[in-house]
Amino acid sequence: MDVGLNSGQLALRDSVRDVLRTECPPAVARQAMIDPQRWRTLWKTVVDLGWAELAVPGADGDDTFGRLDLIVVLEECGAAIAPIPLLSSVGMAAGVLRLAGAAAADVLGAIGSGAVAALAVHPPGCRLPGVPTTLQHGRVQGRAVAVPGLARAELIVTLASSADGPVAAVVRVDDGVTVHEAECTDPAQPVADVEIDAEPVAVAPVDLDSAFATPLVAAAADLVGVAGAVLDRAVEHAKTRQQFDKPIGAFQGIKHALADNYVALERARGLTYAAAARLDDSATPPPAAWNAAALAKAAAGEAAVGCARTAVQVHGALAQTWEHDIHLYLRHAWQGAATLGDSRALYHAVGRRFAGAAT
Amino acid sequence: MTHPDLIAEYGAWLTDFLPDDYYDRYREYRWDIELRRAHQCAAFEAGWLQPTWSREHGGRSLGLADAMEIRLEAAMRSAPKLPNIAGPGVAAPGIRQFGTAEQIDRLLVPLLRGDEWWALGMSEPEAGSDFAGLRTRAVRDGDVFRVKGRKIWTTQAHQSRWCTLYARTDPEAAKHRGISCLILDLESPGVTIEPIRMASISDETFCEVILDDVEIPVASLLGSCNGGWQVAMSSLNHERQMIWIMNWVEIQRGLNSVREVKTTDDDYASGQVFTELGSLLADAEALRATGYRALHNELDGRPSPEADILKLLGSHTLQRVWELAAAAAGPRSIGDGDLLFERQDALAATIYGGTSEIQRNIIAERLLGLPKG
Repeated sequence: MDVGLNSGQLALRDSVRDVLRTECPPAVARQAMIDPQRWRTLWKTVVDLGWAELAVPGADGDDTFGRLDLIVVLEECGAAIAPIPLLSSVGMAAGVLRLAGAAAADVLGAIGSGAVAALAVHPPGCRLPGVPTTLQHGRVQGRAVAVPGLARAELIVTLASSADGPVAAVVRVDDGVTVHEAECTDPAQPVADVEIDAEPVAVAPVDLDSAFATPLVAAAADLVGVAGAVLDRAVEHAKTRQQFDKPIGAFQGIKHALADNYVALERARGLTYAAAARLDDSATPPPAAWNAAALAKAAAGEAAVGCARTAVQVHGALAQTWEHDIHLYLRHAWQGAATLGDSRALYHAVGRRFAGAAT
Repeated sequence: MTHPDLIAEYGAWLTDFLPDDYYDRYREYRWDIELRRAHQCAAFEAGWLQPTWSREHGGRSLGLADAMEIRLEAAMRSAPKLPNIAGPGVAAPGIRQFGTAEQIDRLLVPLLRGDEWWALGMSEPEAGSDFAGLRTRAVRDGDVFRVKGRKIWTTQAHQSRWCTLYARTDPEAAKHRGISCLILDLESPGVTIEPIRMASISDETFCEVILDDVEIPVASLLGSCNGGWQVAMSSLNHERQMIWIMNWVEIQRGLNSVREVKTTDDDYASGQVFTELGSLLADAEALRATGYRALHNELDGRPSPEADILKLLGSHTLQRVWELAAAAAGPRSIGDGDLLFERQDALAATIYGGTSEIQRNIIAERLLGLPKG
């Protein structure tokens, strides 16, 4: 089992990091909160650089870009809290279609070229992602909540139950799609509810465990990035802020909280890389892939929220202000942690399966 | 990076060694010291004891990755535990790295075969986590050191022939620069060993070791004079690699025991068990993935800072697993002696080999770069 990054992936990580350092300092996320069009310039840069092509598996069935390449880029985008739909479109929506075969190839190609898609898989009232729509008589019908990136999307990928079992269905954001925008925790990454009653532009049968695995591991990578970045910010502050004549990072109350954050971060990162490697291995059975991805997402949600919460505490009153960056990370962490299943719900689901109590 | 044939060969060897009813009667065999001794000796002969070392020292000159696979396979198969882990786990790597040709020649094979047991003379009544604050004094007198002092929590000293004794040889130097490691023959005059009754059933009994003007030949220095800190750090670092695998296998056993408890009519309580179970499954998998990732980085010559989380994560996970097993069993846990042992034993994991508080300091200061307190 090889769960580290290879030298090509490390080089990819460094190049992505370099681009984001100049193109996307944290202030960009703050601007995107109040300017709904701010994401477009950054998105154009990212698409021109070819990052959206990570959506597209190779033509002969073996992936040109593996999930490990995808998560390397998503982790860096998370670290930069980049207000672009790379996770929601390339990671999540395209992630569901990755194993959907030829029926989804055109849609994947479009996403790879920069068309923005959103994944609608939260049935109202459910903590875990599921199948919010039905496919009957050639129409996709249903409601989904908390759809990431919907306001920026031209396509919606959803899961529908049909007479022939579950399918992935793609609809255009057009007639028959009603978007209900609402306030959200992280306005830099707006989510919205949707009602769908429309003819799909593509339909493909899917295995549900496989369908969710890539979006979950993609979301995990984003949250690992957030966790690492906000932990860095807290550590830097703890080194420089002086109280009682020494840096506050010299006190074990601070030091140990940050060390525990580091453990949570590496725990999540280890699970995320390992899950991506398992997904790239075609011998992995779908339930094992789902378990690995779900645990990675659960751990990453915990790490991101935990690191952000500690960072607030370390920064004290500063962290309560609009001008300081910490709330940007905190919002991103809270919102990401609640998307595609909160950590407790995911742990519960995996624990239940392990105990053999699942039906 | 691994050789399935090698693992298969090891697995076949282990199957051949173990009694046919080993897994049916694991609860008894785990306390069977004679079986564990025989296993260590056989592993030495077959080259599975220290897979990266040469054949004469119980190995097969394997790479680190293969060695880890062998250790994981041993762990997953619940191979008999080494009866004196301090010997092969800590003392042996120190002797191999720092010992003179004579020391290696005299000591290493009997240690590895398990014929001579070893104790680690580190902790003192006034020096626990603050190991460098130790007070046992060794004064040079011609060809010998004269040693006075007191060691405590010295596991299995009463059953051991040798002890890696850390003593202060330069009281003027900074505290971690004035320590030497001496190889003490525990049969020497002036050595008194008092076993300490343990809180629960255990075959790793603590002792107090009192040193009253004990003579240790200068030739028994392990490493250089005043170089004891390096010997200790290096030996413990070797142990650290093994601790996570040991924790991991115990965690697997604990998780399986939770699974076997048929949960109850109380949906809410079961739900809580499932949630904690999922979280612990994540811990176990993270431990393994991080162990591999650290090794992978090490083999590629990159830094592997993530290795420093293994001890902290593994030990805490182990404790939570057995607490969950107790919670899932409800009042039946009260009458379960094995569970009592597991819970007690798991509590030691955050103390030995550097407490969790020390681990957090290490992570915060060495990895995150926070200032010392």
